[in-house]
Amino acid sequence: MKRRDFLFKSSMASSAILVPSFMKAFESLDPRLFGYKKLVVIQLSGGNDGLNTVIPYRNDLYYSNRPGISIPKNKLIDLNGELGLNENLSPLKSLYDKGNLSIINNVGYPNPNRSHFRSTDIWHTASSASEYLDSGWMGRYIDQYGKKPYSGIEVDDSLSLILKGRTINGVATKDAKKMFNNAKTPFFSKVLETQTEAHLSEHNLGYLYKTMVGAKSSAKYIYETSKTTTSTKSYPKNPFAKQLKTTAEFINSKLDTKVYYVSMGGFDTHANQANRQARLLKTYSEAMEVFVKDLEASDSFKDTLILTFSEFGRRVQQNAASGTDHGAANNLFIIGKDLNKPGIYNDSPDLSNLDNNGDLKYTIDFRSVYATLLDQWLGASHSKVLGSSFETLDFI
Amino acid sequence: MNQREYIHLNWRAGFGAMPTLIAASKKLSKKDCVNELFDTSRKIEPIQIDLSDFGDYFDIPYNKLKKNLGEVDSRKLRQKSQKKVRELNFIWLNKMASSEQVLREKMTLFWANIFVCKDTHILHTLKFNNTLRRYALGNFVDFVKAISRSASMLKYLNNNRNFKKKPNENFARELMELFTLGIGNYAESDVKEAARAFTGWSFKPNGEYVLKVSKHDTDSKIFLGEKGNFGGDDIIDIITKQRACAEFICTKVYRYFVNPIEDKDHIKELTDVFHKDYNIEQLMRYLFMTDWFYEKSNIGVKIKSPVELMVGMQKVIPSVFKKQNQVTYLQKMMGQTLLYPVNVAGWKGDRYWIDSNSLMFRLKLPALVFNNAKISLMSKGEFEDTFNDFYKEKKQRFSVDENDHAYFETHYSNLSFNELSDALVVPRIDADTIKMLEAYQSQNSFQYCIQLMSIPEYQLC
Repeated sequence: MKRRDFLFKSSMASSAILVPSFMKAFESLDPRLFGYKKLVVIQLSGGNDGLNTVIPYRNDLYYSNRPGISIPKNKLIDLNGELGLNENLSPLKSLYDKGNLSIINNVGYPNPNRSHFRSTDIWHTASSASEYLDSGWMGRYIDQYGKKPYSGIEVDDSLSLILKGRTINGVATKDAKKMFNNAKTPFFSKVLETQTEAHLSEHNLGYLYKTMVGAKSSAKYIYETSKTTTSTKSYPKNPFAKQLKTTAEFINSKLDTKVYYVSMGGFDTHANQANRQARLLKTYSEAMEVFVKDLEASDSFKDTLILTFSEFGRRVQQNAASGTDHGAANNLFIIGKDLNKPGIYNDSPDLSNLDNNGDLKYTIDFRSVYATLLDQWLGASHSKVLGSSFETLDFI
Repeated sequence: MNQREYIHLNWRAGFGAMPTLIAASKKLSKKDCVNELFDTSRKIEPIQIDLSDFGDYFDIPYNKLKKNLGEVDSRKLRQKSQKKVRELNFIWLNKMASSEQVLREKMTLFWANIFVCKDTHILHTLKFNNTLRRYALGNFVDFVKAISRSASMLKYLNNNRNFKKKPNENFARELMELFTLGIGNYAESDVKEAARAFTGWSFKPNGEYVLKVSKHDTDSKIFLGEKGNFGGDDIIDIITKQRACAEFICTKVYRYFVNPIEDKDHIKELTDVFHKDYNIEQLMRYLFMTDWFYEKSNIGVKIKSPVELMVGMQKVIPSVFKKQNQVTYLQKMMGQTLLYPVNVAGWKGDRYWIDSNSLMFRLKLPALVFNNAKISLMSKGEFEDTFNDFYKEKKQRFSVDENDHAYFETHYSNLSFNELSDALVVPRIDADTIKMLEAYQSQNSFQYCIQLMSIPEYQLC
């Protein structure tokens, strides 16, 4: 769907919900809190080098293209006799062995864009390389399923496009108490308290007041629901682990949030990649290990699925600075309890058949991954959220 | 001129109205006020930045530079150039707040979101930005031709890699889809033919346009029903002949300057004017002189962009944003970083600026920056950041100094609270909100001004 169609639909839809009594609708919260599936989406921001994450260690082309940065066979964790995990991902190996991890190779889209901004834009909006959409796919999901700002939470301080819908925007918070206090400041409350409904019917001004009401009630709901749940697991001391800890607390408190988004930065490894990526993968996997245990301890893991992606993979051939440049298709991780097809989901990357830039070609469209998550995990209709139909996969 | 209309005009054609001028406007006709806007914006004052100490960076191609200087030193120059682009962001924002050519600056900001472009080369970026400023009120056809020749645009949409043997359609497509006609007003074959006409367009390291004749396709093309050995300029001439082009731009103008909700009749009126000669100044004059521009339903209904919000605050306290880092973080937190558009379609504007987080931040912003608060700005890190930088907390201390207070005293303190409210808040304030504000009227006018800027109405113009 094109940008202008969205614009049209969003203006139609938002005027329709601007009925005077919406304040009450917003304040009354749906008590059905159980039995919902949760999706946690994690972006390795900057473009993680997938080839040094899941290593095709039987492939000579891998070693000949990367004389300085390839991972030797004795320094990786074998998965299936063909692919091996970066040794810094050892916590993932136990998930793999338990059948809780599925690795999908060669995920991407036609005419790949190698700009961080644009490719993130494409992954967030689920557009093609030639469309510019106004809303994110998780935002459009909560537009239709959940319909509250807190139906989608980004564990951060500002909201990314991925959680902006056409009629509803998600909420960003990594500190529920702080957000609650922010929305409680005297002036902010007073403006809302003294407001009659007459004002709310006005076009854009009404929209602002409506957003304020939504912000306030979401902040209150998130804080009051989650404040009693404090994780007992000991997470590593770093900001990414903190984000996952907060996510676990939200999920374990039975917050009626359907989708979470977290981004972890640092993956743009143009120079001296080896050590830098090693630390990043270690940080990622150690936090993930505790996160899964935390969910398991509250019996939430069975209802939670975790997708980890990056906006693009990196060039097969290393560069002159012992790093790698922006590439195209990449692998991604699905972590969950009852996976239909755990392990390596599909064929290893084909290093002998690269595109004109020397990058991996995609064999699975990323929107097929989204479609599968929407249909088979979140109980949605993917074509409604993505705008058209995509082939679904059978990893769940 | 009616005072409220004058304030409306100046928020749309600029970034707010000065109290002294509001008072003076009572004696002026609408025509006088509109003329004044154009007269003060007649002058073109390009942004100038010190670009010395760049060695040969602007004179020879980068790969040659790399051979001469080595990888490390040439990369240093490139990083320096990127840093200068961030500096330009700060300079540009300040220019909007301080320039006398208010309308020209507002138009420049408007065009920057039509001809969307991003570049890390400071000289090319600066030239591009000054091209926007130069043509902001000029002839649209010449404007498109100048933009198409600019090094930044040639790079951004890969037209510098558009060759006869292997045409690249990126620029030709966006030229029609996003810059001139809009989707549905051309066929896929027109994109292909237009791309051929732009083959061989390139630039010298200093940003000067050059046609690489050997790469240019001189054969016949069929474009929008016309046949000839067209070059790029011919394509732009044919595009602008279409009424759809005038209508496309007038719709953008209407949504930006009048009302985000389109009025077909008013847009048709504008299109009639613009299609005749594509004179941007005449179009804007016509717009500001219509009766409907001043209709109640068009006043105070537009959500300010983050940049409009910040510049509007700077108009009241000129040096509120003293540091480059501060404005970078604030823009990022609110979702609009000048010179760094997300994609070629630009910022969607209006309601797209608003979500729970951005609105709460915007509402608190005046109280924080005018009360010398230390804000912990946790904007997301950059893609290029290391893990530690990505998560680094960016604490910024804002301060309003004596000069700022003196400026406020001179221009605003003599106003009654009602006059202050009229000057700063465009939409009619709700009766309940007025009642709430009354509780704050024991404060001095500076504190009262902060309260006015903290109500949702201030987010609109």
